[in-house]
Amino acid sequence: MDTQFLVSLAFILGTFGLYIGIAIYNQAKATSDFYVAGRGVPPIYNGMAIGADWMSAASFIGMAGTVMIMGYDGLGYIMGWTGGYLLLTFLMAPQLRKYGRYTVPEFIGDRYGSSTARLIAAGATIIISFTYSIGQMSGSGVVIGRLLEVDYRIGTIIGACLIAFYAALGGMKGITWTQVAQYIVLIVAYLVPVIFMSLQLTNNPAPWLSYGTVIEEMRALDREFGISEYVVPFTEGTKWQFLALMFTLMAGTAGLPHVIVRFYTVSTMKAARWSGAWALLFIGLLYLSAPAYAAFSRFILMSQVAGSPIDQLPAWTTSWVDTGMLQVADTDGDGILQWQELQIANDIVVMATPEIANLGVFVIGLMAAGAMAAALSTAGGLMIAISAALSHDIYFRSINPNASDKKRLAVGRWSIVIASLAAGLIALNPPGAITQIVAWAFALASGSFFPALLLGVWWKRSNAQGVIAGMLVGLSVTLGYIFAAKYGGFTILGIIDTGAGVFGATAAILANVIVSLATKPPSKKIQEEVIDLRYPEQMTYRDGEVWIDDGNDVPPSR
Amino acid sequence: MRKIDKKVADSYFKTRTTLIMIYLAIGFVVSYGCVLFAEPLSNITFNGFPLHYYMGAQGAVLTFIILLFVNAVVSDRVDRKYGIDEARNESIGSGKTVDH
Repeated sequence: MDTQFLVSLAFILGTFGLYIGIAIYNQAKATSDFYVAGRGVPPIYNGMAIGADWMSAASFIGMAGTVMIMGYDGLGYIMGWTGGYLLLTFLMAPQLRKYGRYTVPEFIGDRYGSSTARLIAAGATIIISFTYSIGQMSGSGVVIGRLLEVDYRIGTIIGACLIAFYAALGGMKGITWTQVAQYIVLIVAYLVPVIFMSLQLTNNPAPWLSYGTVIEEMRALDREFGISEYVVPFTEGTKWQFLALMFTLMAGTAGLPHVIVRFYTVSTMKAARWSGAWALLFIGLLYLSAPAYAAFSRFILMSQVAGSPIDQLPAWTTSWVDTGMLQVADTDGDGILQWQELQIANDIVVMATPEIANLGVFVIGLMAAGAMAAALSTAGGLMIAISAALSHDIYFRSINPNASDKKRLAVGRWSIVIASLAAGLIALNPPGAITQIVAWAFALASGSFFPALLLGVWWKRSNAQGVIAGMLVGLSVTLGYIFAAKYGGFTILGIIDTGAGVFGATAAILANVIVSLATKPPSKKIQEEVIDLRYPEQMTYRDGEVWIDDGNDVPPSR
Repeated sequence: MRKIDKKVADSYFKTRTTLIMIYLAIGFVVSYGCVLFAEPLSNITFNGFPLHYYMGAQGAVLTFIILLFVNAVVSDRVDRKYGIDEARNESIGSGKTVDH
């Protein structure tokens, strides 16, 4: 056992203890605690919780690497995964908060007055959140496995048990405050190494300002090596693929149930707007830093590794060559390692930075704790979403509406335990590339929830038949395009499977509009409830008139 | 509870919606617009970055964050102008929600 192992272990165990302590302290006692944290979370903390919920192991470990390898084309992920918060905060979150339900399927069911719509939405929530959580489980397995020096499968099981324990115990209330702590851990862990790297390379402690000069130097190196330049656009795919991917990620963000439900935990529409703003600020700290990581790492690889004699590579490269994440092969046998002879895995960019910049054992330990925090917090939020769909939308609303509070909490807790362990088991043998599956989850969300919520909030004429047709058509078109593009070689304008959401969302909106117009309008009560969403809580729309509640007298009876 | 002129309520909704459309249009231009015109923008350099790269890596994200905060602040002002009291909202909000 070396020092590094003990330090990392101390960081991980210390943060785990903190998370469990928070969950026990904020244990859910009532159903509203369990589903929506009692609806009293202050916006700034809700912003941090959204940030931790949002930023997964893939964002933490993989995104900088994606940007490094794809160059400009990787920036579609940066803009897509942040721009979604504009759609969410401007068009949906405050209105959904005013409507005041526990879950997203419940909003769809009640707004459209249809149990069928609620059940379809509950099914879509479970499918989307479950596939997404498989990625988180295997991510936590990789980190725990590398740290404790055990097989990654044992790491996955440890991670799944931990999530099952604290999500089941604390419910949404426990998860929210745990996520606040996890956000702080993960953002500190992400920023410390990149700030040191910036100091070493440019003598400037602000990587966001300083990496422009590095990009400039890289352009010269690119020309010298005769490779396609880092900043040149559309080298990996067409411009339409870039735009389609960006749309899919934005609309998918605005339609992911585990993110939307976070806006139910605040007290008012105003608090929902502020939550969205704080959330994107906290998320932006990581997303603005990822391209800096990418630029610094690529620069170091180009200037210190490529072009050196193969037997005199820097010391830190050895351990990464051993793991297979970095491949060096002097194929032309001239004794010099050319850039073209280097093969780099995405994950190396963030995880190797502490070693490249020589930051010592504490920063490496911190980094491991940060990656764990990212995986655990996202998985926790996903488990709550799955459990709410099972125990509330399906069990309570359709199977046993007379269930007691105690019984419903028990069903909620057990569905978390079962879902975590099931996701953990599948993650032992993940079906194909995880990043691919995550991209599909976004495409599915943008083809199902995004159109249903957008029209549900903004178009009172949309009805039950419309939303059922919209969700089914949207899901089929998205899945159909994914398979046609992935396995059939069929593409439109060079748009591949990861951009499928643009077709799914368009088809779903068209189907919803056409079917709604061809069938009877929704009841007067539902239409009034939709108009009511235009105004703040204090104003109520009723019978073509608007009432303001100034607290002076009793409300007139209906 | 008192009735207010429907016109007042409508103008509240219209103000908020117009502002949101403006913010979304700005957000659209800095992201989709800059990707559409990536090639011509790449000839301009900003702080060491070619402009199209800068907009993708920082410019768009910073604009999004600013837009969200501007929306939060301006919406609060609009609410105040129409005499909306957040404390009332809070008690109404917690009373009206379905906690079942």
